[in-house]
Amino acid sequence: MSVRVTRSRRPATWSGLASALVFVALLSLPYLVFANVTSLLVNLFILLVLATMWNLLAGYAGLVSVGQQAYLGLGAYTVLVLAQNGVNPFLAIPVAIAFCAVAALPISLLVFRLRNEYFAIGTWVVAEAFQLITVRFPQLGGGTGASLPGLGGFDPALRQAFTYWAALAVLAATLLAAYLLLRSRLGLDLTAIRDDEVGARSVGVQPARAKRIVYLIAAAGAGGAGALIIISQLNVQAASVFSVQWSAYMIFVAVIGGVGTIEGPILGTILFFTLQQSLAERGAWYLIIVGTVAVLVAMYAPRGLWGAISDRFDLRLFPTGYWLHPQGSSPGGLLARLLRRER
Amino acid sequence: MTPAAPLLELDRVSKRFGRVVVAESLSLAVQAGDAVGMVGPNGAGKSSLFSVISGDLSPNTGEVLLDGRAVTRLDASARCRLGIGRTYQVPRSFGHMTVFENVLVAAHRGAGLAAGAARELTVAVLDETGLRPDANRPALRLGLLQRKRLELARALATRPRLLMLDEVAAGLTDPEVRQLVGVIQAVRERGVAVIWVEHVVRALVGVVDRLICLAGGRFISDGTPEEVLASPAVREVFLGTDSGGLPRAGFAEHGEQGGRPPSDGDSSS
Repeated sequence: MSVRVTRSRRPATWSGLASALVFVALLSLPYLVFANVTSLLVNLFILLVLATMWNLLAGYAGLVSVGQQAYLGLGAYTVLVLAQNGVNPFLAIPVAIAFCAVAALPISLLVFRLRNEYFAIGTWVVAEAFQLITVRFPQLGGGTGASLPGLGGFDPALRQAFTYWAALAVLAATLLAAYLLLRSRLGLDLTAIRDDEVGARSVGVQPARAKRIVYLIAAAGAGGAGALIIISQLNVQAASVFSVQWSAYMIFVAVIGGVGTIEGPILGTILFFTLQQSLAERGAWYLIIVGTVAVLVAMYAPRGLWGAISDRFDLRLFPTGYWLHPQGSSPGGLLARLLRRER
Repeated sequence: MTPAAPLLELDRVSKRFGRVVVAESLSLAVQAGDAVGMVGPNGAGKSSLFSVISGDLSPNTGEVLLDGRAVTRLDASARCRLGIGRTYQVPRSFGHMTVFENVLVAAHRGAGLAAGAARELTVAVLDETGLRPDANRPALRLGLLQRKRLELARALATRPRLLMLDEVAAGLTDPEVRQLVGVIQAVRERGVAVIWVEHVVRALVGVVDRLICLAGGRFISDGTPEEVLASPAVREVFLGTDSGGLPRAGFAEHGEQGGRPPSDGDSSS
C-alpha cells in the first residue's frame, strides 16, 4: 500500500526557515539597538507568551480562563523567593516555570469541577486568592511590593541584554511548545474535543486528561512570563502582577489576532503593541480606539485577523494538520498539485 | 467471571428521564461475532439504550458488562478503548478536521495505535468505506450521506469488538444500502459483533441473524428476523403507531423510510 501522509498540502519549510531567520535577527538585537528598544520588546514577548498560552487554553481546550494572572504572580514570586535565598534570578526562571506547572495540578482539580462561565469566574477567584495570600507575608513585601535582589552586580546594559535574551528564550520555548503540542496526538484530541466532545469520547479521546495537560502547560507559560516581569521591572507588587488586567490583555490579543491558530496571537500582539505605542500619549483616546478595533474585528472578522487572512489565501505558516496524498503522486510536482486541486 | 462470559451483557438495565421510561429492566446477552438487529417505533428507547451501552448515559439501575466485567461506571472513552465502537444517528463529525484526521483520532485513541500503524489503518478504513477521495476535505463540507459514512469509518478505526450502528442506512438509496451492507458483512466476517438499529429493515435482514423489537423501553420480541417480523406483538406495535409503518423483509421497491415523519422522537434521547 503506497500511503504518503504529510503535515500540510505544501511543504512548510520556508516558514520554518523564516522563523529561524527572525529568531537569529532577534538574538543579535542587543548588539544593534539601544536598551529602550529591547526592553520594549521584552514587554512584547511577555504579552505574546501570555496570549499564546491563553489561546491554547481557550482556543483549543475550550477553557476560558480569566485567572492566568494567578500563575503570572506565582512565577514572579517564585523568582523573588529564590533570589532572596541567593539563587541567580535568571536561573530561577526555569524553576518558576516548573513550579507553576506543579502548582496548577491541585488547582486544576478544584477549578475543573466548574464549567464555562463558572470556570472563568472560578479561575479569577483563584488569582484573587493568591493575591490575598501573598500580601499577608511581609517577607514578600506585603501589599507595597518587594524589589528583586541578586542583579545589583550586573552592569545595567548587560543586565538588560540578559533580560532580553531570557525573554526571547521563554518566547521561543513557548511558541515551539505550542506548535509541537498542536502537531502531536494531543493537538488532534483537542481539535476533536472542541468540535464535538461527545463524539471525541466515543472514539476513545479522554477530554479531561487532554484539558488538564493544556492547563498545566498554560500555567507553566504564565509562570515564565511572571518570572520575566519581575526580572525586567526589578520589583514586584501583588496588586499589579495578580491584576485581572493581564487577562484582559491576553484575551484582547488572542481574539483580535485569531483564536485557535498559532499565528493569530503573534499578529494580535504586534497589532496591540503598535496601537499601544502610537496612542500612548493620547490618554483616553487610546482605550476608545483599542475598544473600537475589538468591536470591528468581532463584527467583520469573527475568527480574528489571522483567521480572515488564512481563509482568504488558504495560508498556514505553522501547519498542524495532515494531508493524505493521492496514490502515486510525486511530492510537490506541478501535475500532482494540479490534480490535487481537482477536489 | 467465567471464560464463556458473553461479549456484552445487560443485567436488568433501567433508564428513566423523569416519568419517561426508555429502558425497563432490560437484560440482553450478545456473543462475540453476533449480529443483532434492533427495530422499534420512534421513541422506543433504541438510541438511549445505545448510549447506556456506550457510556454516554448512565442507567438508573442495572449493570452493563463487557466480557463479564461491569463497565457501568466507566465513561464512554474508556469503554471505547475496551472495544465498544458506535455511530450516532445525528453524525458527530469533527467539523474543522479533515476526514482523514477524523478517522486518525479514532485509530490513535480508540485502537491505541502509534503514528505509522494508525495512518495505515486510517487509509484502510477510508478505502473500505469509500471515503478516500474525500480524505482531505474538512468534515463540515461533507453532505449528510458522507458524514454518515464518516461515522462508520471512525467507529471502525477504533477497532471495535462490538460495533453499534445507529441508523447508518437511513436516507440512503438502494445501491448505497447494498454497498453499506457489504461493508458491514465484511466487518462481521472479521469476528466483530454488531448491534444495528435501523428503520430500513431490508438493510438489516441482509446482515443480522437475530432481531430484537424494542417498544416502550421493553423487548417485545427477540428471535430470527422472520420470527420477529411475523410476531403479532411486533405487528401490533408497528400498526398501532403511525411512526414507522410495517417493516417488511427483503428489498422492497421503496423502503418504509419514505413514510417516516421527518422528526425522529428518540434522536435526542
